[in-house]
Amino acid sequence: MIVKQGIAVSPGVAIGQALALGAEEFRIPRRFVRVDAVDTEIERLHTALDNVCAEIARNEELATDRLGQQYGAIFGAHLQMIRDPKLLSEIEELIRKRHFSPEFACSQVLRRYAKELQSLGNKYLAERAADIFDLERSVLRHLLGERREELSQLMTPVIVLAHNLTPSETAALDKKNVLGFATEVGGHTSHTAILAGALEIPAVVGVGQFLADVSGGDMVIIDGDHGEIIIDPDEDCLERYRHTEERSKSVAERLLLLGPRVSETRDGVRIKVMGNIEFPEEAEACKARGADGVGLYRTEFLYLGTSEERTEEDHYQAYRKVIETIGDAPVVIRTLDLGADKVPGSMRQLFSTGENPELGLRSIRVSLHDQTLFKTQLRAVLRAAVDGDVRIMFPLVSSLIELRQAKMILRDVKEDLEEQGIPFARNTPVGIMVEVPAVALLAEDFAREVDFFSIGTNDLIQYTLAADRSDPVVSKYYNSADPSIIRIVRMVVAAASSRGISVTVCGQMSSDPKFIPLLVGLGLRQLSVTPQAIPEIKEIIRHLTIPQAEEIASRAQQLELARDVETFLRGELNKICPELVK
Amino acid sequence: MTESSRAERTVTVTMAHGLHMVPCSEIAKFVRDFDGEVRIRRDNVSADAHSVFDLLQLQAEQGALLVLEATGEGAESIVDGLARLFEAEFHVER
Repeated sequence: MIVKQGIAVSPGVAIGQALALGAEEFRIPRRFVRVDAVDTEIERLHTALDNVCAEIARNEELATDRLGQQYGAIFGAHLQMIRDPKLLSEIEELIRKRHFSPEFACSQVLRRYAKELQSLGNKYLAERAADIFDLERSVLRHLLGERREELSQLMTPVIVLAHNLTPSETAALDKKNVLGFATEVGGHTSHTAILAGALEIPAVVGVGQFLADVSGGDMVIIDGDHGEIIIDPDEDCLERYRHTEERSKSVAERLLLLGPRVSETRDGVRIKVMGNIEFPEEAEACKARGADGVGLYRTEFLYLGTSEERTEEDHYQAYRKVIETIGDAPVVIRTLDLGADKVPGSMRQLFSTGENPELGLRSIRVSLHDQTLFKTQLRAVLRAAVDGDVRIMFPLVSSLIELRQAKMILRDVKEDLEEQGIPFARNTPVGIMVEVPAVALLAEDFAREVDFFSIGTNDLIQYTLAADRSDPVVSKYYNSADPSIIRIVRMVVAAASSRGISVTVCGQMSSDPKFIPLLVGLGLRQLSVTPQAIPEIKEIIRHLTIPQAEEIASRAQQLELARDVETFLRGELNKICPELVK
Repeated sequence: MTESSRAERTVTVTMAHGLHMVPCSEIAKFVRDFDGEVRIRRDNVSADAHSVFDLLQLQAEQGALLVLEATGEGAESIVDGLARLFEAEFHVER
């Protein structure tokens, strides 16, 4: 039994068989072989490699005949690579000494070679890594033969383990049969985290190296509440988790029944609880849980996992779907919030891999840089807004000039639509994410020029405390309970209320039960949380009174250390609704 | 070990794209049946000529000086043959 600690990004407990994503296309069914089977396994390796050689030789001939010698030579080179004596001896050694399965050993060695080539700093050689991945795929195909299981059609439910799940890998996954995720790298905002949230399955990311410790088919437990993964658990542990799984299911079912109830405090103050979504399908989950709308509709999925720029129609259809589901309640659509490197098409070449992408060309900066991209999105939002209560939100604004530029482009887009006689919502409210400390400091000035604020705590904390929470070495410096964060939230709420505009908290902080009394006490009357958390957050609100929340906020503000704030808040939550404290 | 079992020659990479994947594989193919050791050295990095992966890591671009070293029965002819491959820029007859 091995227990590994990572970052909990999607709650719940999943118990099942491991599927280690070693190759992009195939499942490596097991990572180790029995000691007495080593010789037969090596024989199997040789047979597979011979077959790969024969296949490559056939391709070489074909390519030479049809395309000419220089194309054939590429396959010739692959042939020499697969016959590389160094490669063979390294693979054999892993099988003999570490009892790796041939599949796992090949994957390990070839991937190491690919990595070495990528790290030499030579563009040509780095591109050869793709040739190596090709070889890996053919070797695995031959090794696995008919036994291979396509990831798109899994036979049994599995727990997906990977170094880092890429959008294309997840696109190829048969999601019906995925019970949970664990990845070696990644943070709260990684693709895996968002996907797991959308699928409402437990996930733990940033675990550090663990794939070498697990064989495909091993029993694995993902504890998405505590950020742990347990490989090959013993009977006691398994029993305990089966119990937890059952209990959390029953609590979730009970909370779900509370969904339709209005979210107001015991003394009758309405606190709106909205949902954060990424995929249009999640709007359903929000509605089922009685959300007061969508407080944050991230639109990045429209840009990820595709090599082409999306059309205005693609955007429009996605937005329409959400608006139709949500009905009259508000839908806050956030414009593109990605680094330029993630945007397909024209932006790619503009993006230089800066030393620090978090401080580089990302988010609204990309939109202002590539106005065509931005205008396409704004047109679609304005058109879709005709049928609902839609609001536009600009992310990562850092100065008034940026906000004014963005608003000017929005005006241009409206004029264009007007001239073209296309129906659109003229008075769509415009707001900004407050996630750069500069904006929090000047919140009163910003409040004059926008219709609403939404505090994005994830980035706000990262920029305020100068700590990247996806980096395990410094994640301890990232703390939502830091007194500086509480003060910033208070400042922003004060600025918003002095100008009479609304303010929401939409970061991870608002999905964390212990922060709810504090946030309500600081004056927040709107929260936007992951859809899964909606019933729980509502339940806490229904147990609170405003004076009680204000008392908690005022006491929390007297504490000097994040640690103390956290302990205090956890204790208060325990007093308010003990059954929810995990 | 006799005098004749060791040979060494310096060659210059003249191919526009340097010692890329195809030339590397031609080298590995050429020395495949040679039982002795063949190494190609660039400054202080040395690669086993039997291994395409090793050779790629030399990162030998156009103009790079490479030392061909062979040890074993027929070392001289192996080095000769390799030097000819470099001269012909690997335009080998198949």
